[in-house]
Amino acid sequence: MNGNNAEQTVRNAAGFQQPLVLTVGQDIRGFLFKHLGRLALFALTVTSVLAVFLIFLFVILEAFPFLGKFSIVEFLTGTAWYPEAHGTPEFGVLALIVGSVYVTAAALVFSVPIGVLSAIFLSEIVSFRIRNIVKPIIEILAAIPSVAYGFFAVLVLAPWLQKYLGFTSGTNALNASLLLSIMALPTIISVAEDSLSATGRELREASYGLGATRFETTFKVVIPAAHSGIIAAIVLGMMRAIGETMVVWMASGNASQIPHPWWNLSQSVRTMTATIAGEMGETVKGSDHYRALFAIGLLLLLMTLLLNLVSEYFLTRAKKSLGKS
Amino acid sequence: MKSRYRTIFDKIFTVTTGLAVLLLVVVLFVILGPMLLRGFSAVLFKGTVEFRKMQLAEFGHGDPEQVRVESERADAVRANVYELIDNFKSGVDIEQLTDRAKEIYRNYGNELRLRELPREQYTALRSLSREIRNRLTDAFSSNSIEQIREHIEYVLQFEDDERFVNTTASGFFQLARQYQKAAAATDLDKRQEYAVELAELEDIITELLGPSPTEDSPALAQFRYGATRWDQAQKLLHRLRWKERWVEPSGKGNLNAESGVSLVRQEFSRKEQFDGTELEPLFGYIEENIDRMLEPKTTFYWRYFLDDSTPGHYFGGIGPEILGTLLLTLLSMIFVVPFGVISAAYLTECTKEGPIIRIIRMCVNTLAGVPSIVFGLFGVAFFVIFLIPLFGGPSQPCILAGSMTLAVLTLPVMIRSSEEAIRTVPRTYKEASLALGASGFRTFMTVTLPAALPGILTGVILSLSRVAGETAPILFTAGITVGPVPDSIFQKTRTLSYGSWDMAVGDKLSAQVPHNQFGMVVALILLILILNALAVFMRSRVFKRLKGQ
Repeated sequence: MNGNNAEQTVRNAAGFQQPLVLTVGQDIRGFLFKHLGRLALFALTVTSVLAVFLIFLFVILEAFPFLGKFSIVEFLTGTAWYPEAHGTPEFGVLALIVGSVYVTAAALVFSVPIGVLSAIFLSEIVSFRIRNIVKPIIEILAAIPSVAYGFFAVLVLAPWLQKYLGFTSGTNALNASLLLSIMALPTIISVAEDSLSATGRELREASYGLGATRFETTFKVVIPAAHSGIIAAIVLGMMRAIGETMVVWMASGNASQIPHPWWNLSQSVRTMTATIAGEMGETVKGSDHYRALFAIGLLLLLMTLLLNLVSEYFLTRAKKSLGKS
Repeated sequence: MKSRYRTIFDKIFTVTTGLAVLLLVVVLFVILGPMLLRGFSAVLFKGTVEFRKMQLAEFGHGDPEQVRVESERADAVRANVYELIDNFKSGVDIEQLTDRAKEIYRNYGNELRLRELPREQYTALRSLSREIRNRLTDAFSSNSIEQIREHIEYVLQFEDDERFVNTTASGFFQLARQYQKAAAATDLDKRQEYAVELAELEDIITELLGPSPTEDSPALAQFRYGATRWDQAQKLLHRLRWKERWVEPSGKGNLNAESGVSLVRQEFSRKEQFDGTELEPLFGYIEENIDRMLEPKTTFYWRYFLDDSTPGHYFGGIGPEILGTLLLTLLSMIFVVPFGVISAAYLTECTKEGPIIRIIRMCVNTLAGVPSIVFGLFGVAFFVIFLIPLFGGPSQPCILAGSMTLAVLTLPVMIRSSEEAIRTVPRTYKEASLALGASGFRTFMTVTLPAALPGILTGVILSLSRVAGETAPILFTAGITVGPVPDSIFQKTRTLSYGSWDMAVGDKLSAQVPHNQFGMVVALILLILILNALAVFMRSRVFKRLKGQ
């Protein structure tokens, strides 16, 4: 009697009016709720998979009639891009591919040394406090929209190049690749710095213990240990540069030609992205030209997918090798 | 010895890495510095009375009474300029003088016909007036001062003739006297040259002070006003003072343009070209009274962020662009935030690492690597052509299509940042909740999510800043460069990013208004920097709170 009363009091205080035992119905409801809910969440999560799938599907669907109509070999090896020519339009994207690769490579020539050196500075040399000052600067560089970089390239840098380097046109491969290198830098620095910082302390200490200087430790111990991560950083920077549209469209001069001689950066080039951006607005939906642009988009998509796989491979390898050490 | 070299080498290496970072800082300042400086002048500058007139007439801002008083005051000072030019012109502009003489002759002929004179009197007057007209036009086109005097004297002998007094023919004599005076002061051989120079000078003065009071108001807004800004006025003043010419470099006299010598720019004084003429005092007068003619005042044009603009952004602000950017970004956030947060919740809370999760993660990474222009293509093919018409919408680029494209683009950013935010919530929170008997779902909604919310919001803000700056995906899905302010999400819109592109390379007119060019891109950069600063601030607060507990 007394015990029963006490139990009742406790139940009332805790707000439970019924015993803490689930009925069969409640149990089944709870089970269904949990698993159906989980299924619903899963369905929403698969959106990103669906998005990737749809992107491929729709770009391929729009490009497919073109690839059926024209020879893929001619498309990839032709250097003449005259999509609106009367009679026989020519769709050769080699010059555009070369243009994309050209500005990207030039950008990497500038950004890789600076990026890797900056990453070394941040992870090996300075204290946490200075790193916290420098990091926001890199974040700002990453946050500035590409159209603002393009704006700078056209209205500030191009006149400077004309004035001080004597180029006939300020919008050329040099201008575009300088800006691309600045845009690729934040990616390169942050990924490379992560992988440098992740190398074990004991590796460095062993090296210093043997009497090596910081330079020797960095180049003979830390960088070899972190090389996978640094390669991944460079590949990610390359992805950023090759997929960039606004800067190259505004700054590269947009002349569809293979640079000759190859080292002369003051020539105009035209990239795949700039071609899509510049011509898509003027095409008729469903025309050969329209489909050819989608074919270029598909090519671009495949290239970045490949680079993405390469970077994933190196990132996983970096994780594994660092996990071991 | 060797160790010393090694140490030196090591120091050089350290300095080099430091220099690399320094270079980054310098690059940041080189990029942002000139743009910000020039961009700010869109908002803070010295506006002239022309600016205030323009604001009142085009946008309805400002105090009409004050603007009227100011422009009357300025017009009083300007009147002298127009008078000097008119006087000089009467000696130089042969065509105009001839036209005026012909007009007077015509008017006088009409007047005679109306007076119903006897036939022979009419004929006599008619032929006499024709003779006067011919003498005058001869005088205008003559280069010899003797001939001119002869012609003018012939004309002036009829000045007091009672047949001409109080008729329109008296215009002849006024014209003759004016010309007599002007011709005496002008070097007649140089008249052709003067006329060309004068036309140039008048163009500059029109740019400086606006169309002269006697002209009609031009149809295009950009020609309706003079220099609206003091810095523009200064530049025009320089052009007024100095004439630019391209000449062959001195010392290489026998080289011509065909041999590929680049010409050298030289500046000549415009005043010297009018030496000894009636126009000479004009230059001094304008230079001395330029501030009274334009009345510059420091202006803080905050309405720049609200005002619409005239074609080419010649006048006005970037209101519609800001509105469009906000519409697009906020709408895309509405699409992406639920998906992003739920995906992150599922990836962190509901499952263990497995092949499915690996595939999902790989897809997120792939999505993050897709070039933005390909998102644009996808947006056209999927949203514009397929999805929106499927639900009965119009198959055309619109805000809805653009924001959905941007939502797909920013999905990986959203997922990653929410995932990180959820992961930073301490395990103990969850365990405490679960130990109290709350279900997993309830724990997530009442414990994990509120604790992770600031982190998720940081992610939302970063996605916002990413979306606000994107241009390539909206090129064909939502953007236009000129057009009305949208009133539904099924219309295209102007945006800051597309506008910046247009101002830099698309629109030729905007090159004449660099402050507006740079103002647009600086507004975009500032918007993004403010969003990023907000994100950094929130992140540091979250860290502090989680550390403190």
